[in-house]
Amino acid sequence: MKRIGIFVCHCGINIAETVDVKRVAEEAMKMDGVAYVQDYIYMCSEPGQTLVREKIVEEKLDAVIIAACSPNLHESTFRAAAEEAGLNPWQCEIANIREQCSWIHSNREKATRKAIKIVGTLVEKTRLNESLKPISVSITKKALVIGGGIAGIQASLDIADSGYKVILVEKESSIGGHMAQLSETFPTLDCSQCILTPKMVAAGKHPNIELMVYSEIEEVSGYVGNFIVKIRRKAPFVDWSTCTGCGLCMEKCPAKVPSIFDRELTTHGAIFVPFPQAVPNKPVIIKDYCIYFKTGKCRLCEKVCEIGAINFEQEDQFVEEEVGAIITATGFETLPVADLAEYGAGDVPDVIDGLAFERLLSASGPTVGEVKRPSDGRIPKEIVFVQCAGSRDPERYRPYCSKICCMYTTKHALLYKHRVHEGQPYIFYIDIRTGGKGYEEFYHNAEEEEGIIYLRGKVAKIFRDGDKTVVWGTDTLTGRNIEIAADLVVLATAVTPKDSTAELVKKLRIQTGPNGFLSEAHPKLRPVECINSGFYIAGAAQGPKDIPETVAQASAAACKVISLFSRDHLEQDPAIAWVDEDLCSGCRVCISVCPYDAREYDEEKEIVIVNEALCEGCGSCVAACVCGATQQRNLTDSQIKSMVTASLGGK
Amino acid sequence: MAKVAYYPGCALNERSSHLDRSARDATVKLGFELDELDTWTCCGAVPPVSKERVMNLIAPSRILKDVRDSGRNVLITICDFCYNTLKRTNYSIISDEIIRKRVNAFLADDTPERDYLEKDDSIWEDYTGEVRVIHLMEYLRDELGYDKITENLKRPLKGLKIAPYYGCVMLRPQNEIQLDDPENPSIIEDFITALDAQSVKYPFRTECCGSYLSISSPDASTRLCYRILTSARNNGADAIVVSCPLCFYNLDSRQKAITEAYSDFKPVPIFYFTQLLSLALGVEYGRQGFEKHYVDVTPVLDKIGISTGKGGEE
Amino acid sequence: MSENLGLATPRNPPVRLTRDMVNNGFKLRVNELSGQNTDACYQCGNCSSGCPLAQEMDILPNRIIRLVQLGQREDIIQSETLWICASCFQCTVRCPKGIDIQAVMDALRQIALEEGVDHFGPDQIDPEQAAEVPQPGLVGVYRKLST
Repeated sequence: MKRIGIFVCHCGINIAETVDVKRVAEEAMKMDGVAYVQDYIYMCSEPGQTLVREKIVEEKLDAVIIAACSPNLHESTFRAAAEEAGLNPWQCEIANIREQCSWIHSNREKATRKAIKIVGTLVEKTRLNESLKPISVSITKKALVIGGGIAGIQASLDIADSGYKVILVEKESSIGGHMAQLSETFPTLDCSQCILTPKMVAAGKHPNIELMVYSEIEEVSGYVGNFIVKIRRKAPFVDWSTCTGCGLCMEKCPAKVPSIFDRELTTHGAIFVPFPQAVPNKPVIIKDYCIYFKTGKCRLCEKVCEIGAINFEQEDQFVEEEVGAIITATGFETLPVADLAEYGAGDVPDVIDGLAFERLLSASGPTVGEVKRPSDGRIPKEIVFVQCAGSRDPERYRPYCSKICCMYTTKHALLYKHRVHEGQPYIFYIDIRTGGKGYEEFYHNAEEEEGIIYLRGKVAKIFRDGDKTVVWGTDTLTGRNIEIAADLVVLATAVTPKDSTAELVKKLRIQTGPNGFLSEAHPKLRPVECINSGFYIAGAAQGPKDIPETVAQASAAACKVISLFSRDHLEQDPAIAWVDEDLCSGCRVCISVCPYDAREYDEEKEIVIVNEALCEGCGSCVAACVCGATQQRNLTDSQIKSMVTASLGGK
Repeated sequence: MAKVAYYPGCALNERSSHLDRSARDATVKLGFELDELDTWTCCGAVPPVSKERVMNLIAPSRILKDVRDSGRNVLITICDFCYNTLKRTNYSIISDEIIRKRVNAFLADDTPERDYLEKDDSIWEDYTGEVRVIHLMEYLRDELGYDKITENLKRPLKGLKIAPYYGCVMLRPQNEIQLDDPENPSIIEDFITALDAQSVKYPFRTECCGSYLSISSPDASTRLCYRILTSARNNGADAIVVSCPLCFYNLDSRQKAITEAYSDFKPVPIFYFTQLLSLALGVEYGRQGFEKHYVDVTPVLDKIGISTGKGGEE
Repeated sequence: MSENLGLATPRNPPVRLTRDMVNNGFKLRVNELSGQNTDACYQCGNCSSGCPLAQEMDILPNRIIRLVQLGQREDIIQSETLWICASCFQCTVRCPKGIDIQAVMDALRQIALEEGVDHFGPDQIDPEQAAEVPQPGLVGVYRKLST
């Protein structure tokens, strides 16, 4: 019989205050197969680990159980320690008597009894544990980055610069994302395009980056190190290999399409490049607006194109790529003004959102940087900025703080004041949140020197009255209600995930949180990884983020990918499912329950096999298997049965 | 004997002359004489409420100019109000060119006809803030040295627990006064220690006593004095020492109203710092004018045997 | 905008803010007289927290500054706070934005006094007290609370 050693941790008072650690040790000593028991104040400390190593040798232990915190925290610590002392790491188990016992109970007697049972179940499991070897998986050292905003561009450049190939997929016809729409960036007021376009050009020209714009992810299969991605390359109806980007077709096109890039403040033709610095600078035809596609007549673009690059016969292409890691950097959208019923539901012309105001401020925008209101083109003299438009409103809109609005609204008011000296900006806010380097100073300067009036209160209602837009708000600092007959109102609408995110995450099999943003593996310690191996996240797709944070996260995600690619093989946990070929009936019920697509039917053998690289060891298949052919290593049916018995206090 | 220019101010000159006498007696014991200015006027008690009211700066400016004209560059005050007003006036003259020129225009014997912004600024730049305004306690700390007091103690105040009371204008506004840390000062504590008494810590030493509100809103002042006195008492103080005649008046006389309003109140004797200095340096008991106090100080002095004539010379 | 419709005045009518009201000269005058930039105040409330006379005031010091920022002259002129402030400078030394709040109070007192009404005159003093209070008290109260 195995000689098992048990080490019980006090975790200071975290465990010892609620659980009688000494008694757990005494009771454990009486269990079958237990040859040695010791308790210690901090088992994870260096002396604690040394104790484990020494006793394995001295007491000739075949397996150890550490009764301490969650295996999420220190399983790898103790397995490494056991391995150093000559044990197979899978002969080291963790009995969680903290998160699942001491922390959640207050009755010392009951908690102690429970801790003893937890240790008992682990003794049962450990007695039957096999020694295992990690599974080795090869890696395709090429990354896929989804989304060509600043996050995707930065991540791609970082990976490409370290010598690995990158495919950068962007849905629109140019990379750049929202950052390309911005006027100047807080808190330094750099021109957004001036600092972004060099990176766009670098991404466009990098020998290790393959740009796939106007493309979407169709399907993803495979597993970490070995994904297969199917990409739809949408038909631009222009032969980009010959198109020179002269722009004549765009000038001549008679169709009128609201410019998404300009937040519908202007229109462009059905054949267009979204903005002059687009990368690549090639036009696409939007089928829904093209007069030829709608009526069968026109083809004006084709007539003016001297090279003959227009091709109405083009069809969407599909390509398949093999990649080893995937970064999702699909960015954000903002809550439509139309969704905010009390703020005019999008029907008041002089109520616009922050991105539209960026376009009004932008030197390359529809007004060439002059602030003119949409209704009549007049320069607004009284301008109201409304923060938390749809944010921090769990009842009706979004519960979270959109994070960037405090800063960009102050920037808006300040830039407005720089352009319209005699104008008066007002900012309605609930709190001013300026947690970033130089942010508080930026806000103080705006308040002190720029004559911006900050009003503390949420705006209740906005409506049109003649050519004025009336804002009903309050100022809790004076206890007075405030009414402003404004010329223009700018809403800091809630930052939301892209509509397309929901569909994409299904294809990738990664997770989103309750608000639809991508979920990270751990909010503090694994902020750029998904739970599923090989998937990483960057930028506002994970949650509202400003540019510095987005860039930092993109570089962090890239770093994770580079670290993955720096190895020749991956080691996967072998404690996963396996199939007893003699027992498997080939019913395939396991295939339907596997959330990781880790099981496939072997036509030849007429049984189901496990893809070891994909299996995460969740156990769904084991539970579903009717003939008991599927077992999980080190969690076999017989192990589970004896564990259950032990947990019920029996033998 | 060394002489230092001295500005008594209205209160110390008349209603609180016993405090002035104590200061003069004590400094002689320390080897220097407070040399009262030949002519002086009221300083105005508070600096003007705005820069527009430059007229309110003329009286204190003239006092300072007269000191300068007499060939001296240090002026001692023993009243916090005078100290604050004179020092801040001087600060304005040094730091604000417009104020300096306007003030000098008024101080000049013959009012010059030219606009004060013209080039030749000899007249407009006559008094430029050369005089240093020093609180007597500051002089004792920085110029004389507190250890000099300790060396000359004739009646050490050993056994007395004294709570320092700073009030407001001795320390604030800090950027102009720069006497001590406005939130955690030590100048009076160290003074108390120099007299061999024990200083008492309590949280209200820099809280306002109500100042001139004692006249316009007496109840407000009563409430403030109550919490200061009670806090000092609860922290073990036998008495409180102050350096401002108005604080003295409020903390002492208000105890009548406090006793009427608060049944739990126990009176606390108040000393002016010059009185304690005079006592400790051995000036004849009786010259300190304790009979003028509302709250009897003799029980406290009995405690260390001073009022019974023990200790000290004369 | 006074509307006389024969109706009772609403207790708390909304402030109809305009750029003229914000920049009506009142704030500029306060800033000029005090030498302070009242716009620098971000309403942390420290001045009120530590004000020894706060319990006697109808409007706390931070709100006084706030009303200046919004140009609400009347509310301030009518406030008792101006006459309760003892000029103790506690707020001034603690203001995290370096605003000399006492100077702002002085400026507001001056503006209020310019309306022509002395808040506290010689006839209001208790003669017994007048005979014994130290002169800084008498001079101080007249200088701060009367023209």
